Amino acid sequence: MSCTLGEVKNRADLIIYWGGNPAECHPRHFTKYSLMPKGKFVPNGRKDRTMVLVDIRETPSVKAADLFLQVRPGKDFEVVTALRALIKNQRVDKDRLVETGLTFEQLQDFAGILKKARFGVLFFGMGLSMTRGKHMNSASVLTLVAELNAFTKFVAMPMRGHGNVTGSDMVIRWTTGYPFGVNLCRGYPRFNPGEFSTVDLLLRGDNDAALILGADPGATMPQPAIDHLARIPTIVLDPKVTHTSQLARVHITTAATGISAPGTAYRMDEVPLPLRPPLKSPYPTDEEIVRRIRQAVQGKPPWLPNSNGKRRLV
Amino acid sequence: MATKRFLMNAGRTSKQGQQINIGKESDEYRAIVQTVTMNPDDMRELGIAEGQSVRARSAFGEAIFQCKQGNVPQGMLFVPYGPPTCRLMGGGTDGTGMPLSKGWEVEIEPLPPQDRQ
Repeated sequence: MSCTLGEVKNRADLIIYWGGNPAECHPRHFTKYSLMPKGKFVPNGRKDRTMVLVDIRETPSVKAADLFLQVRPGKDFEVVTALRALIKNQRVDKDRLVETGLTFEQLQDFAGILKKARFGVLFFGMGLSMTRGKHMNSASVLTLVAELNAFTKFVAMPMRGHGNVTGSDMVIRWTTGYPFGVNLCRGYPRFNPGEFSTVDLLLRGDNDAALILGADPGATMPQPAIDHLARIPTIVLDPKVTHTSQLARVHITTAATGISAPGTAYRMDEVPLPLRPPLKSPYPTDEEIVRRIRQAVQGKPPWLPNSNGKRRLV
Repeated sequence: MATKRFLMNAGRTSKQGQQINIGKESDEYRAIVQTVTMNPDDMRELGIAEGQSVRARSAFGEAIFQCKQGNVPQGMLFVPYGPPTCRLMGGGTDGTGMPLSKGWEVEIEPLPPQDRQ
């Protein structure tokens, strides 16, 4: 029920951004993939497309929208549920819609727009997936999109955040079968978000060391998780000084991938793109450092912890 | 001083994104992540002047921000993610692996001008 951004460019005549602010957070999205480009079935580009923005505040992305629907904070799930009923011509209680911040007429118009599209795409952002309800909100829009396929072609795609988070998900997925929160302690992968996911591990203090690659949890995670990273030996590989590198025991400066180091980045539609660095760097790449750490670790004799806390060689 | 409860929404801005490439150590970056956007009517109600410091208190911690008026609905605050928002964020993930990263309930207390940081 998803597609590549190339299909969006060539086919989509209805673009919905829900809980995202691409004008600021994905500045090339409009111009390269979704709104502006001329495509095979949308030859006039922007003129052939309709853009609907759903958000809780008026962001700079509103200027690019044909229709802006301002939802009350935390009411996205209710709006999606009402839309699911409206597209199937089921009864919706107008009075109960008041709490969503939208009127019955607005939602009915929106439902009409959804059904009239030839090829609709719903991009959903962190405003939906990281507010109260989290995965339930994401599941509700995915269900809405699935149900819209009874009327027209409709797809959904998450607006991924930082550079190459999709790449991390993809690689862990094709190596272990799971996208994140994978525990390999028993020698085989086990998946359990809430137990093996990073924030939960750090909060419980389960791990006694950390290797951080290309991320800055010291500027994004809850404070108790950051405090645990500062307590334990943390190693950071990063081209720059970050909040995490400052609390780490070891910071290894690396070449910047895509700028001075080659590699592969996965676009948010899961298309892998080779990176051709235009510059050279005096620093090693992340890959080289991890390979050398791995070689050094493999050279050490294996050990198990004793009951007295000392190491016992096996 | 009077306090008021708000819904704090953290997010990203393009200015912040550009500043990350210059360095998170700069005064500009610090200023960006310490600036909270508030509705002008809310600022008037609490007697907060443009650029005045406020203390935000959530169930998990507190942080000090500078206030800026902007286009957000009444009762809502917008702030770019950064070390101050980490202190307000709770660690519980409800079994999803992702802590609640937006829509925190915070209490805003205006600070006297001499406490400006």
